Amino acid sequence: MAVYLIKRLAASVLTALLASIVVFLMMRSVPGDVVGQMLGQTSDPVATQALREFFGLDQPAWRQYLGWLSRVVSGDLGTSWTRGQPVGGLIGSALLVTLQLSVATLVLATAIGVPLGVVAAMNEGKLVDRAIQSFTLLGLAAPVFWVGLMLLVGISTATGWSPPLLYVSPAQSLRENLSIMALPIVSLAVLQAAAYSQFVRQSVVSAFSDDYVRTAVAKGMTRNVVFFRHVLRNVAIPLVTFMGLILVQILGGAVIIESLFSLPGLGRLMLSAIETRDYPVLQGALLIVVVLAMAVNLGVDMLYRVIDPRVQVG
Amino acid sequence: MTAVETVSPRGGSALLRRLRREPDLAVGLAITAFIAVVVLFPGLFTGYSPLAINVDKSLEGPSALHLFGTDDVGRDVFARIVYGARITLLVCAGALAAAAVIGGALGIVSGFLGGRIDMLLGRLTDVVLSFPPIILGIMVTGILGPSTTNLALALTVVYVPSFYRIARSGAISETGRTYVEAARSSGLGEGRILVNHVTRNVVPLVLMQCVVLFPLVLQIQSALGFLGLGVQPPTPDWGSILQQGKDYILFAPWMSAFPGLAILITALAFMLVSRAVQRRFDRR
Repeated sequence: MAVYLIKRLAASVLTALLASIVVFLMMRSVPGDVVGQMLGQTSDPVATQALREFFGLDQPAWRQYLGWLSRVVSGDLGTSWTRGQPVGGLIGSALLVTLQLSVATLVLATAIGVPLGVVAAMNEGKLVDRAIQSFTLLGLAAPVFWVGLMLLVGISTATGWSPPLLYVSPAQSLRENLSIMALPIVSLAVLQAAAYSQFVRQSVVSAFSDDYVRTAVAKGMTRNVVFFRHVLRNVAIPLVTFMGLILVQILGGAVIIESLFSLPGLGRLMLSAIETRDYPVLQGALLIVVVLAMAVNLGVDMLYRVIDPRVQVG
Repeated sequence: MTAVETVSPRGGSALLRRLRREPDLAVGLAITAFIAVVVLFPGLFTGYSPLAINVDKSLEGPSALHLFGTDDVGRDVFARIVYGARITLLVCAGALAAAAVIGGALGIVSGFLGGRIDMLLGRLTDVVLSFPPIILGIMVTGILGPSTTNLALALTVVYVPSFYRIARSGAISETGRTYVEAARSSGLGEGRILVNHVTRNVVPLVLMQCVVLFPLVLQIQSALGFLGLGVQPPTPDWGSILQQGKDYILFAPWMSAFPGLAILITALAFMLVSRAVQRRFDRR
């Protein structure tokens, strides 16, 4: 296990390194930089030169990259070019918002999606199953930001209430925070609950056609007993993998939902960094996203091996 | 569009019987066919121009005159959606085709040859896949600058790895078959084997993947449009219409409701078709 873990970690670090090089090269390959944005079109060449030197943009790209990398390795993500604040702090506070959104969405989507999938599978072919499958299809086909917009319209026309525009952290006031986060969480969760329910239904249906289930049924066990004693345990294993997949998807979806509901999360940070060509912020945020996604995948893989001893450690 | 061909191997009556047995496929194909007509002949559906500004009539609700209402500068929302279908779906289809060709070719070569090339391409794929798709899309369109070309490029980059993986595993399993060995021992050159046997058998997998991925591509395409990173105004595009409607969401919800519905219905149609195609594949 330890050897496998080290191998996986090494591969992940290599991938993250390559990803950061790709991002770096892309950012330097396009015309226009932060200096041009700051000084506008009719800028004085002396000031331009001075600012470029200040940001290190006069250096060759590889040296800029190595400089960035060596600072990152020592835990310093640099300073934002447009805000003058440390990138680490900016990402940290944005990450908290995104993580709250993502984790709450994951919990809600699991709580809705898994039971729906089970109910559909247990009533395969019946009306309940069809109704749940229709919901699943609609949920998968609907664009996540559109669901958010429609919920916003629906609720504000029905009740006259619309969420506050200024973000409040849960530490300041949990109640206000929840009233801001509720709609974003629900809009994201609808889609992911649909994905869950489809996956769970399929796993349960296929588990019911396995030999061990047929034996149990032949012994005279009822479907429900078979489900709780045998099927559930076997479905739990692929479900863990699927959860990881969903979490990575939620991270992506969160970016769009954040911009819709003006939440100061990673997505908003990235979009504004792109707009102002604030490279250190963008590079740092992308690095964090990649590392997060990798950590989720690695964690799932480890968990998978713990739950299912049949999986060979290789 | 392409899906129509895959279901009719034995003429009309067999197709009809199949459609009766699989109503979801029938619905999916019917909607797809309708969308194809909208894409080809938008003028049949509306007399309004998608670009004609009429400030006097801005933000009017749905009426007999303007079926889906008007937007902030008085353009007919229905016309914008009808004409937007062409741009939205062409971008998706174009990006998907490019990703299928590039990813498919690389995957076949990688799986057939193995060795260093396979290793190198596998690493690159891991790098691309290490980004959540939408974030990769934001990165490419954001850094290169928002435009229709860069949007298509971004979508291509996002989906090349899925085609690469499918084609690679298809090529590996095909290369291991006895008939390839037989072909090889009967003196057929590697190039001929690659083209005549391996590629021919991997192509159906790639085509099926196109149908499966289409709704996902549409989602990402419209999400990027919604973020302002896609097709630029005034060109009508479903995601971009939603982006313009966002600021008026409480006063003019029709600006957002209908383009979103268009995305939903299109994605739904392709999902229904792809499920039926997958069922057929599984049975084989």
